[in-house]
Amino acid sequence: MYGGTHGKIDLAIEYQAQIPILRPSIRARRANITVKFQDLYGFTVEGNVDDVNVLNEVREKVREQGRVWWSLEASKGVNWYLQTQSSTTLKFSVLVNGITLKRLIRKGIPPSLRPKVWFSLSGAAKKKSTVPESYYKDLTSAVQDKVTPATKQIDHDLPRTFPGHPWLDTPEGHATLRRVLVGYSFRDSDVGYCQGLNYVAALLLLVMKTEEDAFWMLAVLLEDVLVNDCYTNNLSGCHVEQRVFKDLLTKKCPRIAAHLEAMEFDVSLVCTEWFLCLFSKSLPSETTLRVWDVLFYEGAKALFNVALAIFKMNEEELLMAHHIGDVINIIQRTTHHLFDPDELLTVAFDKIGFMTTTTISKERKKQEPAVLAELDQRLRRLNSVNEDDK
Amino acid sequence: MASSGNKNINSKLVLLGDSGAGKSSLVLRFVKGQFIEFQESTIGAAFFSQTVAVNDTTVKFEIWDTAGQERYHSLAPMYYRGAAAAVIVYDITNQESFERAKNWVRELQAQGNSNTVMALAGNKADLIDARKVPEEATQTYAQENGLFFMETSAKTATNVNELFYEIAKRLPRLQPAPNPSGMVLVDNQSPSERAASASCCS
Repeated sequence: MYGGTHGKIDLAIEYQAQIPILRPSIRARRANITVKFQDLYGFTVEGNVDDVNVLNEVREKVREQGRVWWSLEASKGVNWYLQTQSSTTLKFSVLVNGITLKRLIRKGIPPSLRPKVWFSLSGAAKKKSTVPESYYKDLTSAVQDKVTPATKQIDHDLPRTFPGHPWLDTPEGHATLRRVLVGYSFRDSDVGYCQGLNYVAALLLLVMKTEEDAFWMLAVLLEDVLVNDCYTNNLSGCHVEQRVFKDLLTKKCPRIAAHLEAMEFDVSLVCTEWFLCLFSKSLPSETTLRVWDVLFYEGAKALFNVALAIFKMNEEELLMAHHIGDVINIIQRTTHHLFDPDELLTVAFDKIGFMTTTTISKERKKQEPAVLAELDQRLRRLNSVNEDDK
Repeated sequence: MASSGNKNINSKLVLLGDSGAGKSSLVLRFVKGQFIEFQESTIGAAFFSQTVAVNDTTVKFEIWDTAGQERYHSLAPMYYRGAAAAVIVYDITNQESFERAKNWVRELQAQGNSNTVMALAGNKADLIDARKVPEEATQTYAQENGLFFMETSAKTATNVNELFYEIAKRLPRLQPAPNPSGMVLVDNQSPSERAASASCCS
């Protein structure tokens, strides 16, 4: 049953081998035409010649980061980063390693090390170690023929998840994604399946070495990394995050917040998708994964930093916009063309300013009662509407 | 800005309906003239714009295409709030999607703005052999509820442009003002006069 995963890995290696350094022809340069090409993870992207050049530079930077990480493995020992997590030791070297690691992760984990580093630092490895070895295999084989509202929606969404991707959009890709999503829907029946998770799980599959590891990454994400109830029933956690985000925008980017408010533009109109798909539908793949590098190490506050950065980067242009359509175009043009992850992450973590997980947790606690009351009130109003009608 | 006889108006339009009914496909057909068999599932909502000319007026639709899964329902008010038009989409081969469409109609009637132009679109009309929702009964339902109804096919493009054109025509701002006194400031009227003018227009 894991045969599929091997095929995928081969394919992933093939991409990397096949991708030549793209040299746009002089004609293309002159005409400034849009070209289509495949990125590091097999996604077809459209961009102009500048974008191609940026992607080539990013590839070079990724290689450079790889050398940095490997030399650290050599000097500090394999799995040195795991020692930074042990809470019992308070040795100086551990603290130093911790600071080094945080900085390194913000600069990006090389794709070849990503599966291993994510798996241990996110807590997925620990989660997996608490259940019997055969857990995933038993779970997926026990539920493979069951039909629930969740499985119906999953089956409906499989061909609609990154359609056209050379591995995800194949019978093997669909079957693998299905096992992960269906398996999870039975692990947590409160979540079941929520649209959006298909994109998250698909990208996890492309990164992780095995589908089982992708499953555990999904589990740790939903159970420990993200806010509670982000994907359950009425998405209450997602509503909470949106309110927290609006408050943060007012604090960190007051001019933009005031301008958009005057336009009666609710930022949640564009941000909801970011928080539910963790940027996988908006940013280029390597940029998304760089965000996830930080997400899995520093927690969900990283999502706020990145979302704020997208607004911040466009401050002047946004202040000139007076139509909703223009605001959305500015934001979308930016997100789709952020091929250089550092451009985004520098703003997100150096310019936005420091935010702690504690601050975010406090903000969430503050917003939660109002969100729950509002959702409850809405539900009651809807029920009464439907009853009057019967 | 608007020279005599030539007007440009912006109108917010929202699409609501069950997952897989074809909301995104209708928008893609209308905005880009394309059809894709497997359209990426929409999360939250996607934004598009497209213009329609009605006589001497250009209507620019600002379109919000929303996610269909039941649990996304709690996000919908953000998108339909202040909408000039709402298109409620169901799949003619799926009875359940029609029931959900009716729920949307009820919700908009209760929560929405009474000026919102509501249209009901029975999509996938090309799949006539698999039809589960009869056209005639739906027509009656639509009339009873003051909805503009059309069966559409995003795949074959049948009635797609027509649907948006008909909505544009029905926008209150394109209708000739029925009663100029309706514009008079409330202060100038006694309460009884106000009640009279309100009832005569209904």
